[in-house]
Amino acid sequence: MPISEEIIVRSELRWAAISVGVVSVIMIALIYAGLVHHINPPSNIERIDPKTLHLGGEFTEANLGTRVSGDGQVTSRIVATQFTFQPRCVVLPANRRVTLRFATPDVIHGILVSGTNVNTMIVPGYVSQVHTVFTRTGDLLMPCHEYCGLGHSEMSATVRVVPPDEFKPDAEGRVACDAR
Amino acid sequence: MNDPDRLEQPWRLWASVAILSVFAFSVLFGFVLMPVMQGRAAGIDAFEAICRALGITPGSPAARQPTTNAKAQPATRVAWSADLLNSLTKATAAGESLAGSCAGCHGRDGRAVEVKLYPDLAGQSAAAIYKQLHDFKTGSRPSALMTPMVQALTEEQMVAVSAHFAAFPVRPIPAAQLPAAGAAIEGLVARGDSGRGMPACNACHGDQSGGPTEAPRLSRQSREYLAAQLRAFKTGERRNDIYSRMRSVAAPLTESEIDGLALFYASTRTY
Repeated sequence: MPISEEIIVRSELRWAAISVGVVSVIMIALIYAGLVHHINPPSNIERIDPKTLHLGGEFTEANLGTRVSGDGQVTSRIVATQFTFQPRCVVLPANRRVTLRFATPDVIHGILVSGTNVNTMIVPGYVSQVHTVFTRTGDLLMPCHEYCGLGHSEMSATVRVVPPDEFKPDAEGRVACDAR
Repeated sequence: MNDPDRLEQPWRLWASVAILSVFAFSVLFGFVLMPVMQGRAAGIDAFEAICRALGITPGSPAARQPTTNAKAQPATRVAWSADLLNSLTKATAAGESLAGSCAGCHGRDGRAVEVKLYPDLAGQSAAAIYKQLHDFKTGSRPSALMTPMVQALTEEQMVAVSAHFAAFPVRPIPAAQLPAAGAAIEGLVARGDSGRGMPACNACHGDQSGGPTEAPRLSRQSREYLAAQLRAFKTGERRNDIYSRMRSVAAPLTESEIDGLALFYASTRTY
């Protein structure tokens, strides 16, 4: 029995409506995340030589971790390497603008801090920088979210967000997890 | 409705209108509304936000970071370049003549004369040997024996001697087999321990693992030598691993795990 054209058109319209609906839901979710959760692509473009990262300057081992500069800016510098973060735990204050700066000497890594809008890739040759304000205190998990090799699954760090009055920099302006 | 060409005609106009309005909405939303609203939260004015969204002005401009006098030492001073890695693949006559002074401890063919104290160099990765020589020389890995030995070596000589020993075959497994290390140790080697945040040993030390360039081969080194190095990383006595790759893994290991891992690698050819 041949199907009438009217039925075919109605069926097509139905499926078209479902497709438009699915795309709309995804777009609304993206717009909601962008406006309410402040999720946006990192915009910092800054180059650094991955071969000599450890030899001098900002990302030497001794300079990593959280530091408060003279003007009160809180910056945490973290290196992602196969297959660990250095340092593996950073302390940051809640309800205060903080800057996270990442670099890697080896391959592409990525991080997100669970339950926050911090999410960036870490690409050899570039410094990844994210500004944020943490509103919840506690230990937040920061896993590597870009496959970086066989040890990728064990690569994670902790962001310890403390109330502002418990955030006490030492004489050099540094705050470390084990010092607390 | 019987003309096949007529079927699509009533759709064309409003399909085009729909597509154009989706396009207009995307441009308006992506380049104007979203940046302005997000920018307000970050303290960026509307005009600047739109320019940044369009890519006319850069995002956060690279802010000058405070200069640091942080010392890079004592982590390694080696910087891997493509040229350096290339040169490490070629065994040369220069390497052979230099290797004479290493033979007293490490053997003519890279098999150590006293395996409990000195590592085998035969079949070791040339990058690993080069890095350790470099670290002995710069003091990143201080050693009463090796530091004076390598002081006189130039960059080219260190490359040549590393490539020379790397070319020898690995020592064969002895007839008298060592006891098996056990399932728990093999689990650490193959899978690591996520509870303690420890990646698997063979994520870096496996053959062709794709891990760090300088990761050495571990198989067929002596139990005593491997255990001593793991303990030195654990206590922080040895700290020439870039960004504490080994120190962070060795720190949570128990004493019996260190002995088990040393036994495992001493009795395997796989890694």
